[in-house]
Amino acid sequence: MKILLVEDNPELTSNISNYLLDQGIVCECATSLFEAQDKILSFSYDCIILDLMLPDGNGLRLLELVKQKKIDSSVLIISAKGSLDDKLSGLDLGADDYLAKPFHLAELLARLKAIYRRTKMQGFDEVVFNEITVINSQFQVLVKNQLLDLTKKEYDLLLFFLTNKDRVLGKNAIAHHLWGDYTDDLSNFDFVYQHVKNLRKKISAAGGRDYIRTVYGLGYKFDTAAL
Amino acid sequence: MKLINIISLWFLGITLAALLIGTIVIYEKLGSEIDFELGMELDRQIESYADRIAQGAPVNKLIYDKLQIQEISMDRPVEELWLRDTLAYHDPMNRNETQLKASRSFKINGKHYRISYYNLVVEADDITETIVITMLTVFLAQLLFIGCFLWAISRKIFRPFHQSLDQLQSFTLQKNTPLTFKKSGVTEFDLLNSFLAKMSTKLLTDYRKIKEFSENLSHEIQTPSAVVRGKLELLMNESINGQQAALIQAAFDSNEHIRRIVKSLSILAKLENDEFESPDPVDFSEVMASVLSRMEEVIQMHDIQLKKHIQPGVILPIHPFVAEILINNLLSNSIKHNLEGGKLDILMDRSMLQIRNTGRTPSFDPKEMLGRFKKDGDNKDSVGLGLAIVNQICKNYGFGLLYTFEKPFHSIQIQFR
Repeated sequence: MKILLVEDNPELTSNISNYLLDQGIVCECATSLFEAQDKILSFSYDCIILDLMLPDGNGLRLLELVKQKKIDSSVLIISAKGSLDDKLSGLDLGADDYLAKPFHLAELLARLKAIYRRTKMQGFDEVVFNEITVINSQFQVLVKNQLLDLTKKEYDLLLFFLTNKDRVLGKNAIAHHLWGDYTDDLSNFDFVYQHVKNLRKKISAAGGRDYIRTVYGLGYKFDTAAL
Repeated sequence: MKLINIISLWFLGITLAALLIGTIVIYEKLGSEIDFELGMELDRQIESYADRIAQGAPVNKLIYDKLQIQEISMDRPVEELWLRDTLAYHDPMNRNETQLKASRSFKINGKHYRISYYNLVVEADDITETIVITMLTVFLAQLLFIGCFLWAISRKIFRPFHQSLDQLQSFTLQKNTPLTFKKSGVTEFDLLNSFLAKMSTKLLTDYRKIKEFSENLSHEIQTPSAVVRGKLELLMNESINGQQAALIQAAFDSNEHIRRIVKSLSILAKLENDEFESPDPVDFSEVMASVLSRMEEVIQMHDIQLKKHIQPGVILPIHPFVAEILINNLLSNSIKHNLEGGKLDILMDRSMLQIRNTGRTPSFDPKEMLGRFKKDGDNKDSVGLGLAIVNQICKNYGFGLLYTFEKPFHSIQIQFR
């Protein structure tokens, strides 16, 4: 997957490109609208991560250009403005998703992968890791060809782990992924623990390996090297 | 009371006092002047009679109802002119009248006569009557003039003032246009207007600055906060020990806290600026149902007994986003500050929404709960802006908000109309 990141803050750019590079995603960067226009006209990208507030204009103009020139790239808007209007006008103009700053890097990756699956695979893809197979089109999970009975949250959680393999997923990031913006002031880390525990139990019961590790008090990690 | 009425009343009062003093002075002056002139006249009469006696006119022939001539002893000294009021018979009117009596004595041809002459005086009553009528006429004329002044002239003079008032009344920060006034030609009003115009311009620039600041604040803090969060997430993936993990988690939590404060403040600022226009009425019951369904899991996990009675189809003219924030904040609060295994009652109909939850006794007056950053100290995760936002929303939409605590129930009631 090849990504164009349009963001003027160098620190944020390095955070995102570092994280994505670890997941094997090539990330090119543009720091202005002009540079970004230049790049999307010259190269092709699977997805454009687009900040709206750029030094030389509103990022929505780039989105218009993408639609106008029928460029085959998905667009994920990241914006600090966070207002409903921005979100709606972005989605109206044909952006594939919207993520308000500040976001969790794991969440960004999950959204990217989801967009990728939706647009490039038309949802008919499978995420396979060793004995675990996730069939996205049917919301099914197979472990050693045995169907797991997972709740919606457990399914989301497993997919979140699989898209962020070998990364530490903070409790906040998991909570935000599962419950969204609104419950972030309810201290629901206990529920994260509950869901992770149930997921591990179900995978183990089906004879799968226990890949999920606790990382001190920070969160959890899907450890591909687990024995 | 209108300024013009106050001025008129004072003016009338002062005029009245001046007229009263004038009346007294005129009365005194007129009386004494008349008496003096009359005295002089009587004196001349007496002198002429004395002359006639000296020329040899017979004394008893001279006497009539206005004239008395008395012979007194030669030993007595000559009497000077002496005036006094007396009641004497007046022949033409055939009754006693107040008259002025002047007497003086003369020594003529070895005899001593006291000659007294009477004449009618202008009575005090008559003088008073005349003066009072005159003064009343003056006073009434003034009343009339002041009335005309009130009705017509004041309207003309005060027109620029009323225009300024109207403009001031229609001045709002949202319109973003400073006040401009026409020259009125009255120095005081022009001075006031120029001051008002300057003040409105200053007000608008200040308001714009504050608005820009609060708008920029959210963006300016959110970006570095996002950077911090990203760095910490990257750091989590380095090889770290437990102690470092704890440090990272603490830094992460504090950063999250900042993020929540900024988010809440920016919502508050937007509400205060009235930036949410309600496009269409919203089915409040549906919003309630969707927020509740999102929180049901949390409610269950806290072992809270939920009792709800929600009338379907409660339509309110409120922005959907604001409706969601309102319900979300209320429910979050009632869960966050609930007791483990506590109760949560939600009651909603067309006129009001009541949310009651069990909780600890607050350490301060429930009324203060609606203020910013008011929270019970031991809840470090709480930002303390939730109810301030609820309060602001209720203000914006004209809802009544009542917060009460009756052990162990915290109750929030919102009156829609």
